Amino acid sequence: MHLSIDDLLSVRDGEASAEAAAHAASCPECAAELERLRVVRKELAAFPEEAPDRDLWPTVRAAASARRQLRRWVRAGWALAAAALLFTVVMGVRGGVEAWREAQLARRTRALVAESQKLEYALRSLEGDSRVMKGRTAGTICQIQDRIALIDVQLGRTGPDRAASLDELKLWQERVQLLDALVNVQATRTAYVGL
Amino acid sequence: MAPARVAVNLGEPAFVLHSGGALESRARQTFAVPVDDLLVARARKGDLAALEKLYRSFERPVYTLARRLTRTPHDAEDVLQETFLEVVRSIRHFRGEGSLAGWIRRVAASKALMKLRAESARPPEQELSDELADSIAARHPGASPGAAVERADLETAVARLSDSARAVLWLHDVEGYSHDEIAAMAGKTPSFSKSQLARAHARLRGLLAPGAGEGPCT
Repeated sequence: MHLSIDDLLSVRDGEASAEAAAHAASCPECAAELERLRVVRKELAAFPEEAPDRDLWPTVRAAASARRQLRRWVRAGWALAAAALLFTVVMGVRGGVEAWREAQLARRTRALVAESQKLEYALRSLEGDSRVMKGRTAGTICQIQDRIALIDVQLGRTGPDRAASLDELKLWQERVQLLDALVNVQATRTAYVGL
Repeated sequence: MAPARVAVNLGEPAFVLHSGGALESRARQTFAVPVDDLLVARARKGDLAALEKLYRSFERPVYTLARRLTRTPHDAEDVLQETFLEVVRSIRHFRGEGSLAGWIRRVAASKALMKLRAESARPPEQELSDELADSIAARHPGASPGAAVERADLETAVARLSDSARAVLWLHDVEGYSHDEIAAMAGKTPSFSKSQLARAHARLRGLLAPGAGEGPCT
């Protein structure tokens, strides 16, 4: 019984069992067949190298250049998209912060307007007493009222539909302070007269 | 400068691109092209001059491999072109752990096997015309008359093998790939590779020595 081509190839490639290798070494016909397989492999490896009939590099180069160009465009596209996204985010954040600030300003202004109305109400209740007052006190009251009138003029210039501004807020703060001072003067005078 | 030892780890399933250590020592000398590290580094950055130099270095080995595996010179040119398009596309993924030649050879082999799969609708065995046989014989002008005839006979016989038998014969016996590696590249089993190799040798035996038959040693 001789070795099959499978077995002979295993022997040739050094992957056969010891038994198959021993048979190939002792059987002249299998040894000859094994040698034939070795010669074929050697002859195959000696086949001459071949070259293509035409130069394919220009085609490869064109494809490579096109690919590079495409990558550049893709990179530019991504950069543009990133810049647009960044701009949108910055503008969004900035808009959000500004909206929050405006809301805060409006809230504080509304609080000052309410405080101002409350003080005016208190002032009207104190002004009901028409008794005589000192000339110095009357002068102080007159000065405060003039300053309040001046502030009212300035507030009137900004108009009823304007958005709350820092200037308006300051005017309302000053008005509240003046009204508060006026209430104190009136309250002190009333108390003194009461004595 | 020392030859580059460059490894590949590409995710593309068509290629499991790593070079085998023992395998490379058995590989054809034609693929043992020395490539310096600087050239590879430039090629990785997309330097077209460096890529062209790589192309010029590997053009003939890749074409020869493709020519042995595929059916026609036109198919081999397609494989050569596709191989270098792949090299241009993927060389930046090299990590420097294997040989550039081993990687290019494997890409070429994979592309050639894909070409064969794509062409599988055609008849499995090519009928060689006298013209083709003459052209094979004419490619051996330097050899002695006897040797030229023998080599031409062998080349003609190899060309008459089925696509799969011819591919396995070349990849195993000449390029030094193991049956496991051939199976991985071809999407088949190692047993398939072994059986194709045995069939190839049996067929060659029958073609080169008609009286001896194709069967195993009897």
